[in-house]
Amino acid sequence: MSIDQLRSYAAARPGVAAVWLTVCVGAFCLALEAVFPWLIGWPSVLELPASDWIGAGVTAVLETVKPVARGFSYLMDFPMFWTNALLVGTPWPITIGCVTALGWYIGGLRLAALGGIGLSLVLASGYWTESMNTLALVAVSVPLALLLGGMIGILAYENARVRSAVLATLDVMQTVPTFAYLTPLLLLFGFGPVVGLVASAIYAAPPMARNVLLGLERVDPDIKDAAVMSGGTRFQQLFLVEIPSATTQIMVGVNQCLMAALSMVIIAAVIGGFDDIGWEVLLTMRKAQFGQSFLAGLVIVVFAIVIDRMSGALTQARRKRHDRRGLYLILGLTVAAMVLLWQRLPATADFALFDPLASYVDQSLGNFTAQNGAALDAFKNVLVFFIFLPLRIGLDNAVLSFTWGFQWTPMMSFAFYACAAVLAASLVWCERALAGGLLLVAALVLETGISELPWPFVLMGVGALGWMAGGRKLALSVVLMLLAILLSGLWERALLSLYLSGVAVVACAGLGGALGLLAAASPMAWRVLRPVCDMLQTIPLFVFLIPVLMFFQIGEFSAFLAICAYAIVPMIRYTQHGLTTTPPELLDAATTSGATAWQTMWDVRVPYAVPTILLGLNQTILYAFAMLVIAALIGTTGLGQSIFLALGQADVGLGITAGAAMAMLALIADRLVQGFAEERRKALGL
Amino acid sequence: MTDTLSTPPAISCKGVWQVFGQNAEQQLAEALKQSGGAPRGAADLLREKGLIPAVQDATFDVAEGELFVIMGLSGSGKSTLIRSLSRLQESTAGEINIEGEDILRASKARMTELRRSTLGMVFQHFGLFPHMSVIDNVAFPLKVSGMGRSARHEKVREIIKMVGLAGREDAFPRELSGGQRQRVGIARSLAGDCSVWFLDEPFSALDPLIRRQLQDEFLEIRARLNTTIVFITHDITEALKLADRIAIMKDGEIVQIGTPAEIVLNPVNDYVAEFSKDVATGRHARVASVMKTGADMPADMAQDPGLRSDMTLEAALAACVSLYGPVPVRDANGAVVGTVSPHELSVRTLEGADQHQPGAQE
Ligand SMILES: Nc1ncnc2c1ncn2[C@@H]1O[C@H](COP(=O)(O)OP(=O)(O)OP(=O)(O)O)[C@@H](O)[C@H]1O
Ligand SMILES: [Mg+2]
Repeated sequence: MSIDQLRSYAAARPGVAAVWLTVCVGAFCLALEAVFPWLIGWPSVLELPASDWIGAGVTAVLETVKPVARGFSYLMDFPMFWTNALLVGTPWPITIGCVTALGWYIGGLRLAALGGIGLSLVLASGYWTESMNTLALVAVSVPLALLLGGMIGILAYENARVRSAVLATLDVMQTVPTFAYLTPLLLLFGFGPVVGLVASAIYAAPPMARNVLLGLERVDPDIKDAAVMSGGTRFQQLFLVEIPSATTQIMVGVNQCLMAALSMVIIAAVIGGFDDIGWEVLLTMRKAQFGQSFLAGLVIVVFAIVIDRMSGALTQARRKRHDRRGLYLILGLTVAAMVLLWQRLPATADFALFDPLASYVDQSLGNFTAQNGAALDAFKNVLVFFIFLPLRIGLDNAVLSFTWGFQWTPMMSFAFYACAAVLAASLVWCERALAGGLLLVAALVLETGISELPWPFVLMGVGALGWMAGGRKLALSVVLMLLAILLSGLWERALLSLYLSGVAVVACAGLGGALGLLAAASPMAWRVLRPVCDMLQTIPLFVFLIPVLMFFQIGEFSAFLAICAYAIVPMIRYTQHGLTTTPPELLDAATTSGATAWQTMWDVRVPYAVPTILLGLNQTILYAFAMLVIAALIGTTGLGQSIFLALGQADVGLGITAGAAMAMLALIADRLVQGFAEERRKALGL
Repeated sequence: MTDTLSTPPAISCKGVWQVFGQNAEQQLAEALKQSGGAPRGAADLLREKGLIPAVQDATFDVAEGELFVIMGLSGSGKSTLIRSLSRLQESTAGEINIEGEDILRASKARMTELRRSTLGMVFQHFGLFPHMSVIDNVAFPLKVSGMGRSARHEKVREIIKMVGLAGREDAFPRELSGGQRQRVGIARSLAGDCSVWFLDEPFSALDPLIRRQLQDEFLEIRARLNTTIVFITHDITEALKLADRIAIMKDGEIVQIGTPAEIVLNPVNDYVAEFSKDVATGRHARVASVMKTGADMPADMAQDPGLRSDMTLEAALAACVSLYGPVPVRDANGAVVGTVSPHELSVRTLEGADQHQPGAQE
């Protein structure tokens, strides 16, 4: 083939060209590895001391605003003190009664029961005071977040120029890991609950802002025009018509805001200094008292469910009105109980109804590990030695005689590559050039290991993906982001993060996709899976660590499991949703063409669902990154660990650079997948 | 039709353009310069550049108390034009006077005031506030202008009764049928005592029976209020039934303005003719439009059936036929089996046509 022929071929099939170019770059790097070692590892002379500079810069800025922050902190002390005093000081029967009554008011018997039983469980667990401390933080941070998010949303809606800036910021904020917020806040506000408060307000404001904006934009244009033509001023239009018309969507924002705030308040417990339920989990986890930490985790889950279901009921457009008499009855009963028990009210700390449960859990866990520990370890080791390690450090380093039974030699590498090359060549011969190229890429990754990939290869590969997903602009921006990570000196850690989240995402995609397919094919299966998904999505991030620690101790494998448990849900949901929302006329057309159920599934439903499934994958990736940082608590290497370390040492520079690197990785993944999804949507004419 | 010469027009629209796209104003000026001021050429130039000239050089007057109908296919720019008139969006070029006031120059505050006192508008999809009851929806214009709760409720009860919703004041929009919802929309637009009334396809979303019923009620309300009305529809029957004058739009351009008879009898082009294809010409055209005048008048004319120049063609035909005596009717074998009067024939035929009037069609 002449150069011109090659060029026209590449123009016609950009994907193939991109893959083969990547293969060439990879082969080039490996071939010259011995001569130019800097092709594999970025030379440290070229690393910029970015974290030092950023640290110095940010610290200087933070120092100047510190007085304001401290003033704010001082101001916030009052509401925090009083809410705390109110929640902790109120006798528990009154609190339980009020929550039950609230449940009745919002959603009748079902929610009243949920509220009453939920809080009773909390009381019985003996964690009442800690729970109320947590709740107090949530209660102060949520109004702040609602106000902040609401104002941002309205501002973005009112001003088109602000809008795109706000949306971009929200995108970025969604990808910045939670722990990364904490370090600068720590410097600003000093140790104490205010950091958790502010962090959770910042973390919970974006969903509110998004939903306010979305709701306002979705108000029927005729309604907006009607408000104008009725002679309302802009203020009247907004507050009398548009915001009330958008209530349903805004309530979705309130629900998400509450859940985010709860999640963050619990995460912020790692700072310590506040006797809340998150701290309790952390403490017991560190002491390996799994029974107790399981119990505390349960309390958190109960809280999350009560808050989620109650605020979720508010998002239903047409709520049934419940009989007021029920409300009065519950309140009356509460007062009666108070009067009767006044003198003999047991202290909340005295409740320990579940302590037997905790010790039972401890004991049976002990028994279980004693009996099955070997099997569990074997299971773990097989996965670690034969899948995780090779992916991480490559076959060349992971294949050792004491695990695999033989030692990997350079000769084997050569043979491995030769086999791959022959296979690829035969694929190319059968006109499957793309598959051939991808095979070679996979072989290269497997032999070298993700954490030791040559950087030009990664840059080229990601750039090629960007090119295919969104053209030159996207390719350029993702490569620039990777370059920034390279220069910052966080490259190796970034690759480690990429490796773990990559493995988790692949696992989630495979398993979640299969489960989604199953749920789409069988309504029965969905009826079982759906509450599980609901549950997993309600549980705050932190709690996922408890069960995996119970069985697999600290380490990468536990982190992997925790990430999967959290990140698999969107994949299942979106797959199921995408596969079941095929337009009925398409299905009818397939049926009348004589397709069987499975043919319809593969040839009609799946192709039609691809954009939706890709969005699910996107969410899964973002979830995996979010959890990756939390999982640093139970021992992962990579950027998450750096962020966590930075928090411990109050190292603002490292915290921010590592957080930014993490956010960039997430952004790259997000943009690439969105690009592919968009392309598919266009191809399907959606 | 109202005589437009004596009183100044209630709405006067001169060279109004509405162009969507980047830099519309500048692009329009350039395009006009290039085409030498010809609106059609300028519109084509704009389209080439990817802009949308949704309304082009709209010029017309609406007299006080007139019912002016704007008609055209979907996407022809009707809504855009009425939104320019009510200044829900800023026109790209042109001049719009409402009751002598140049509203494109009016300040924001002045516009708000005008909307409270002078302008009323009804929307195709009703635009009811989902969180307010019927009475609060109707009273909303009064609320924003600062009237107290009991006063405004008192005032709008009358209007609610007028549109036939008495007793449903506390219902919410979602509890009403489509026809009832549009009555609320109409009532709300009337709450501010408007003197200029805009209606954007108010009955298009309703089924034919309800539509005809609301049209009749609308005419009744109109007779009582004597407001100036701009009414949009894409239904020719509706237009002919209601209009004093009709403007026909095509691709943003007003191609013809005229009375219903003029539109039916003298369409300026095929597009306009296509609209009135299914319409019985005889029902809307007047004798004046087909009679010959002046020197052509023949000396000896038959008997006088008593035609007047403003009779419809149908009525005139019936009158003429009444001059004939009864004629015989035969069976298949040619035997006389009865007689019939031609007058009877014409009346029956027209009655039949009456029942088959389009109007039940979409
Ligand atoms: N805000 C806008 N931005 C861009 N283009 C617009 C905008 N509003 C209307 N258009 C375009 O202007 C043209 C006229 O639209 P308009 O809504 O006035 O049509 P219409 O005659 O009212 O049609 P219908 O009978 O369907 O309501 C259409 O091509 C439409 O796409
Ligand atoms: Mg329209």
